Amino acid sequence: MLGSVDSSIEPPGPRIWAIGGGKGGVGKSVISTGIAMTLARQGQRCIMVDADLGGANLHTFLGMSHPKGSLSDLFLKKVTDLEEILQPSSFDNLSLISGARAMLDMANLNYLQKLKMIRQIFSLKADHIFIDLGAGSSYNVLDFFIAAHDGLMVVMPTPTSIENAYHFLRAVYFRKLRKVVRDLKAEQLVDTALSDKVKSGVRSPRELMLDLLCRDNVVGKKINQTMKNFSPQLIINQAQLIEGRELGRDIVLACREFFGIDVTLSGIVRTDDRVLTSLKAQRPVLDMFPNCFFAEDIRSIVQQSTYEQKA
Amino acid sequence: MDDSSVQKSFERLGLPSDASMLEIEQSFRELRNLYRKKSLATYSLMDEEESQEKLSSLQEAYDQILQARQSVSSNDKSKSAPEVSVATPAAESRVVVVDADPSQNPGLFLQQMREAQGLSLRDVADWTKVSTTYLQSIEQQKFDSLPAPVYVRGFLKSYCQRVKLAEARLVIDSFMDLFQSR
Repeated sequence: MLGSVDSSIEPPGPRIWAIGGGKGGVGKSVISTGIAMTLARQGQRCIMVDADLGGANLHTFLGMSHPKGSLSDLFLKKVTDLEEILQPSSFDNLSLISGARAMLDMANLNYLQKLKMIRQIFSLKADHIFIDLGAGSSYNVLDFFIAAHDGLMVVMPTPTSIENAYHFLRAVYFRKLRKVVRDLKAEQLVDTALSDKVKSGVRSPRELMLDLLCRDNVVGKKINQTMKNFSPQLIINQAQLIEGRELGRDIVLACREFFGIDVTLSGIVRTDDRVLTSLKAQRPVLDMFPNCFFAEDIRSIVQQSTYEQKA
Repeated sequence: MDDSSVQKSFERLGLPSDASMLEIEQSFRELRNLYRKKSLATYSLMDEEESQEKLSSLQEAYDQILQARQSVSSNDKSKSAPEVSVATPAAESRVVVVDADPSQNPGLFLQQMREAQGLSLRDVADWTKVSTTYLQSIEQQKFDSLPAPVYVRGFLKSYCQRVKLAEARLVIDSFMDLFQSR
């Protein structure tokens, strides 16, 4: 693979995972906590970053009732470095950067604040960093998702969740496209393509890419290549195994067919009452029920994605 | 035939133009299935009219590819035929069109899938350990000469595996429905 050449030159920094997916309450935090705990137990140093500013509660998932530091301290300039607000959890190899007590307007970071935070996240000393994103498709959420190595979308087998996931996917795609286009200084090309879209019948990213190729073969090709790298992963949560697999396959196919985006199916997480039980007890599921369906499914997702990262 | 329009047809199926017959078949079926069924994954992306449009453009692309492949194999066997079709010498590099509907006529569909891959009944029998007589009864849907349903289901499963069928469930279920309601 092309990427493997680059990775040998790259300094070995942490692997950044971002967990999003549009809708609230679909299990983003439960799943990211599960994946982090699984890797932490394998001896990998993991840090979870609660980037759901304004609705941060990752500390509760980890059983920490009152997180001491918070991202808000960074923005209020009480601290200068993310390391200072890093708190160990009660589990080995797992620490948290909480987003609790963020002030109301803090959910709207400006671009520089965001860049600074992303830079600091990338320089944290860890093997894996999980950025737990809030619901919705705001620029905050999109930019973290784009910056990560692995973008995980969590979807439940409900119409609303899937609709939101498509909206999210399209928003991420166009946000990333803007960046790529800006870097290539091809704004004009894309703007004309987009403003002519009614005439030329461009309705999806896939059609836009083909249209760009026709307009300008060289730049169009570059944009196409960079956008091809955008390949989010899909997790179907709270499903039955067979139903989930079928839905996952359909979504992957639909994303390719309608948007021209290659989504990979990371796995299915089965419905499991013990998730709720452990949440009520304010303990991570993997700690309380290490052998339940949920834990089993999370482990196979981790296994698959670490296998793919090596490949 | 116009090369660029054939090229477009391959793009329509999301395939490179050197895709094998099997890939063409599978991609076409997968996509057709996606547009036909009411799925949570697609209802918000298209209305009835659009899905009909997509279905007919899909069918068009598929027909065009098959036509192109057929003319390639009859005009120019020496050069490109062995590459483009999955046919083995036994099948005389004949391109078999798989046009049976797996839900209406699963037996014929399996037979066509087998022939498209240049496999003889013997090949399938050797691999599945199911006798050629039973395999033939499956293909011809001679339900009376088949054993109990539980065995037949097993036969179908291994048959589907042998012809590398992605959507085996549809074929098996349709066959069993016909078999048990005979």
